[in-house]
Amino acid sequence: MKRNTPLITLLTGAALGVVLLIASMLSTPSKTPAGYTATASPTAASVAPATTAPASTAAPPSATAPSSAPPTSTATAYASAPAQANYAGKVQGGGASVAISIHGSQAIAYVCNGSTVEAWLKGTTASGGKLVMTGKNHARLTVAYGSGQVTGDVVAHDTHYSFAVHAVNKPSGLYEATAVVRGATIKAGWIVLPDGTQVGSLESDANSSAPSATAAPELDVATGTAVFDGVVLHAIPVSGFTGSGF
Amino acid sequence: MTAQPGMSAPLPPERAASGAAKLVVPSLIGALVALTLGIYGRLHSPTGIAINIAGFSSPGSVKSWLATGATVLALVQVASALVMYGKVPRVSAPSWIGGLHRWSGRFAFLLAVPVAIHCLYALGFQHYSTRVLIHSVFGCLFFGAFTVKMLILPKRGLPGWVLPVVGALVFTALVVIWFTSAYWFFSTFGIKR
Repeated sequence: MKRNTPLITLLTGAALGVVLLIASMLSTPSKTPAGYTATASPTAASVAPATTAPASTAAPPSATAPSSAPPTSTATAYASAPAQANYAGKVQGGGASVAISIHGSQAIAYVCNGSTVEAWLKGTTASGGKLVMTGKNHARLTVAYGSGQVTGDVVAHDTHYSFAVHAVNKPSGLYEATAVVRGATIKAGWIVLPDGTQVGSLESDANSSAPSATAAPELDVATGTAVFDGVVLHAIPVSGFTGSGF
Repeated sequence: MTAQPGMSAPLPPERAASGAAKLVVPSLIGALVALTLGIYGRLHSPTGIAINIAGFSSPGSVKSWLATGATVLALVQVASALVMYGKVPRVSAPSWIGGLHRWSGRFAFLLAVPVAIHCLYALGFQHYSTRVLIHSVFGCLFFGAFTVKMLILPKRGLPGWVLPVVGALVFTALVVIWFTSAYWFFSTFGIKR
């Protein structure tokens, strides 16, 4: 008689769920995420300067010191949050860029597609090697630390991106500028990548609880200025090393 | 799984009433399942990552394809159920239709489980937009409804409408989940692997 088969179906599904859950829990503590992000590593590595050995899924985050890691960083492999770091790169698919700076226990991140999808996020590095950051418009970013890179997911303006981005050095990284133009506080952000390309957005009313954004004017990285609506914006780097922007 | 439309035909009223009473315990268990998933998803701090399924570009695409597979199988479920219940004109149920219904259902469920685990573990129960709230709620309801369906299948003497109604609830929940996740994913990012 087959009266038991539905129960078997249920229990099989439940068992599968439990196995996957345990596997997920086991894979999470390792700092090289054995997660979905692992498949992204080669992609991200190809964006980074050549000769960088992509962190393989199984390799412990130690032996190979990626050449893309900043020379000023205290270590190239982090068991948990680095004390000072700047990361920047394109998200998977290349539809946007993300930059994350860590200074002490504070973290600032910016994700931006050069147009309407952007968000500033803040968070505090916690123990356990995990960083969760939040921002306006329900923006949310999760980070796992790897060897000279971070991986994670970000949601901004209802758009989801996965990313694996590498540590970067000046002049690459995150820049921000704020100014009051005709009574409104505008805030612009730019992410400058190692290849020199940049992407930026500008919030025309940054104090709003749900700011909307447009494309930012081009940032002159050498002078740190951009011209918006006839007004010169002075950008400062958001750097985990100097603490500027924090 | 042993749904045989012929058997659940007209019942005397008193038996139908006791049949309905048999729904209470499975419904409570199903509600408990849905609640458990929701509470876990809300309390557990999302990790952002979970275990990998090789060959896909991102967790979003893995989940979208698995969910799409489950939804296609769910369509098979509806079609085979209609045939079993003789609701398709000029089609008499072939002998293998029950097997098709059972196995497509099992595979659909097994495809949905990894997606749910990733949702619960990596993302959690969220409500930052209408789409996400609907998805979270129906995600929990789906597994509750599926549990009810599995638990009442072996019971004898249920009113004839019960299985089709519960089956329809399961199907509806899955389609809502699919539209608020995979459909959204594919329409936002394009159909990619």
